[in-house]
Amino acid sequence: MSAYRDIATIARWEVKKSFSVMSRNVLPVAIILFVLLILVTGFAAESGLHIQDGMYRMGVDDPKVAALFAPDTRFTVFQANDITLTGNQDAYDLVIIQGAVHANPTEKGLSAQNALERDYTQYKNGVYTGESDLFAAYPLWIDTQSVESELNFSATQNGQYVAAAPGTGTPVPQGIVQNVATPSPTLDVTQDELRQELAVSSQENSQVSRYTDVISPGQSVMGSFVTPDQLSPPLPFDSIILVFVFIFPLYFTSQFFMMSIMNERTGRQGEALLSLPVKTSSIIIGKMLPYFLGMLGICAVITFYIKASPLILLPLIPIIIFFLANALIIGMLSRSFKELSFISIFFSTVATSYLFFPSIFANVHVISLVSPLTLIVLTIQGTTWTISDYFYATTLFFLTAIVLFYIAAKNFNEERLFSEKKFLPRVREFLSSILPEQHPFAALFLLAIFSIPFVFMGQMMGLVVFFNLPMPYSLILLLIIAALIEEMAKAIGIYTLFVRDPSFFSWKNLVLACAATAIGFLVGEKLLLLATLSQISLSIFGSILFLSLGVLWLPLLLHFACVLIVASSLKALGKKGLWPGLIAATVLHCCYNLYFVLGWIR
Amino acid sequence: MDTVKTRHVAVVAKKEFRGLYSEKTILLAVLLQVFIALFSSFLMVGLTAMYDPASLSGYSHFRYTIAYTGNESPLLGYLENSPDLRVRRMDLSTAVELLKERRISAVVYSPGTLPDAQDPVKITLYTLANDLQGAVVDVRLKNIFLQYEQDLRTVRTSRLNITPVPVQIPASAGSGDFFGFVYGLLVPLLIFLPGILSSALVIDLITEEFQHGTLETLISTPVTFAEMVWGKVLTCTILVPLQAGAWILLLTANRITIDNPVLILVHVTLGSLLLILIGTMCALYYRERTAAQFVFSTALVIILLLVLALPFNPLNLVTRLAVGTAGVEQWIVLGMVWVAVLILGYILQKYAGQIGGMRAEK
Repeated sequence: MSAYRDIATIARWEVKKSFSVMSRNVLPVAIILFVLLILVTGFAAESGLHIQDGMYRMGVDDPKVAALFAPDTRFTVFQANDITLTGNQDAYDLVIIQGAVHANPTEKGLSAQNALERDYTQYKNGVYTGESDLFAAYPLWIDTQSVESELNFSATQNGQYVAAAPGTGTPVPQGIVQNVATPSPTLDVTQDELRQELAVSSQENSQVSRYTDVISPGQSVMGSFVTPDQLSPPLPFDSIILVFVFIFPLYFTSQFFMMSIMNERTGRQGEALLSLPVKTSSIIIGKMLPYFLGMLGICAVITFYIKASPLILLPLIPIIIFFLANALIIGMLSRSFKELSFISIFFSTVATSYLFFPSIFANVHVISLVSPLTLIVLTIQGTTWTISDYFYATTLFFLTAIVLFYIAAKNFNEERLFSEKKFLPRVREFLSSILPEQHPFAALFLLAIFSIPFVFMGQMMGLVVFFNLPMPYSLILLLIIAALIEEMAKAIGIYTLFVRDPSFFSWKNLVLACAATAIGFLVGEKLLLLATLSQISLSIFGSILFLSLGVLWLPLLLHFACVLIVASSLKALGKKGLWPGLIAATVLHCCYNLYFVLGWIR
Repeated sequence: MDTVKTRHVAVVAKKEFRGLYSEKTILLAVLLQVFIALFSSFLMVGLTAMYDPASLSGYSHFRYTIAYTGNESPLLGYLENSPDLRVRRMDLSTAVELLKERRISAVVYSPGTLPDAQDPVKITLYTLANDLQGAVVDVRLKNIFLQYEQDLRTVRTSRLNITPVPVQIPASAGSGDFFGFVYGLLVPLLIFLPGILSSALVIDLITEEFQHGTLETLISTPVTFAEMVWGKVLTCTILVPLQAGAWILLLTANRITIDNPVLILVHVTLGSLLLILIGTMCALYYRERTAAQFVFSTALVIILLLVLALPFNPLNLVTRLAVGTAGVEQWIVLGMVWVAVLILGYILQKYAGQIGGMRAEK
């Protein structure tokens, strides 16, 4: 019970302290800035963003045509007679002489022509919308119906899009044919209603409204009816807006937590806190709790505001915990404020892209489920997801967060917090303190197990980044990166021990240490594979990442050999031996993968 | 007001550079910029590919199977004549099931409405939800539908009152969107990113002195408080053209030619100096990182939004300079930024002198 009381007390302190820091002159300024932000947003929405103004020069002979394109600020329109224009065609990206467009045969000219074409279509639509007989101006209407279908991963074995089978005959369905009602041949909407909708939709920028519609779907009488021109390809980029709406506030709030940890360290302010008769874990949880609740609250408010299902909060919880765990570690590790800034910006970009990238493929590909953001996209669309989907998307986030919290708790003491050492030695020290001296082999074994979620996250990152490169390159790059990440993870424990005490590594101890690491790594790999990743491991990408499903002794031997290379290299060359050893081990690992996965070297 | 000795400012700047060099984490910031560039151009290439399937060679010769259902209509002829599509006639229910199984790419249903009927021709298009391949097929179908619409309009032309001003646009050969993206977004963004990073950096450098209590050691040296502040401002400002210049070189190496590189660097350095000065003021006022960074980053969003909403803003000028369409306006804007820098610099000098004076009295 007392642990709960401790946590509550520390959480209360944390709230009080952060308010006392923030209230000094910040609150009034924040309110002013907030008002300004609303004003400026309104102004920007009114005036538009002027970043591409004046990119293209256009020469026109007819003032009527010039007037058509004058509103587009991307064009600087020059009016002259056709003789002058023909003579100086090179001075313009585009000339319109007697109603005919001539673009310079450069990329810029083509780009200008594309922009002009869209403007002209918009103008024509404006004219046609004014016609009294709307169905003469818009004789063709398309009712767009979307059909749900989810690929299973095995269908996209090599990570490329699945195209329909190019057979010559008419394909025959394999599943049960469900009766689809014959669509009615008429529109159920009156001409006037359509006209209004057309007028509205020609005003707004469909690129922007697409995104805002994700959050608050607009009511349209047209429903699914569009004219051919409005038929825009369904861009699967809805998650961009979700990143902005959900992830940025979380990132922002986690910054405060990071800073609060950092503040405990500057000028040894945290000494009083550390001297309390309270468990370290209580201190950490207590300090974190207000931020966790705050972030959850922000998400709940956003969810409520966009009237989405509260189910969205479930996949957000692991994201919040993951952000906080990283904030904690970064706050404990950085030596100076600038280091804190650089590392946190870098981390947030990488984490955001890890979250965002797979969710682009929501509905397309099971790979998208590695990101909890996909679950949010699905929830907003009204698609259901299962508990196993949830585990699949969030296990890595929970696991890495727990490991990071454990490392932080072990290092939350005066010696580590107030040390003035450099970044990388500090990282090593942090790891060193979770490797007890009495049981080095058991520690290496456990460290190898705990490194697995990070390895998978790193490799997933690689998978996500290389996913859409042309086929052979994506595979080769993934092969190398996956091997390198694995080797680094395996080497890190041995390296830490080596730097702490080089004399420990007699040949016998060295072999034992390598064996402990290799076994730990194998066990960890198996455990996580069983838990989550069976779907991905079926594909060819998966077989590279998590090769060792089949026989056990082969991967064990591989892990052992690779670690042994690194360890021997360390023993022979000292600390300098790390990179040569890593490279040699990676090469061996790649060869092994090539041999067994692809059978290239045979 | 104290005079600022250049030598002292240089000493402080040198010290800051040494600090940055020894920490090496600034590499992460550089890496981050590369990452953003790769990521955004990847997204854009993906986007371009979807809008314009011909830009990806893998798609250009692929024939997608689609199903045509419903009654006979001229549309069937258009579809069958397309080199990109393989049309199969079948009944609607079967076709939709095949679509769900991803055996075909789209289903078109047409009622047999006559071209010159009073009512519009309403066809139904079934595609896969949020699907990349569906997007590619949509683009091809869109072109066919547009052509069909044009012909139907011609049939019904006697019922129209107004004729639009005619402009003949030749068929475009390839993707032009990439150019607009690179010069209209990526280039100004990348070139101004170092300025934004630098203005955050100056806050860290200054609040650190306050929070770590290292200012007291300063009093024992001949460097005044104001000189120390200017040294930090100088450090952050020098970093801007260094990084932006590296960007220009990198872009040029990727065959994205940037016109007027020197002028661009002048614009970006001066614009960034303005941001750095604002950051410095925040840092001097709050003397605490959390508050200063919070207020500054909110203010930065406002400033950027406001600036972007104004015509001839510095980011737009970078775009114009890069494509070679900048006119005399750029000098006016440059002059205005310069005046703003001078005013802010003067205020900063006063403010820093005041703080320094107060500390010396203590």
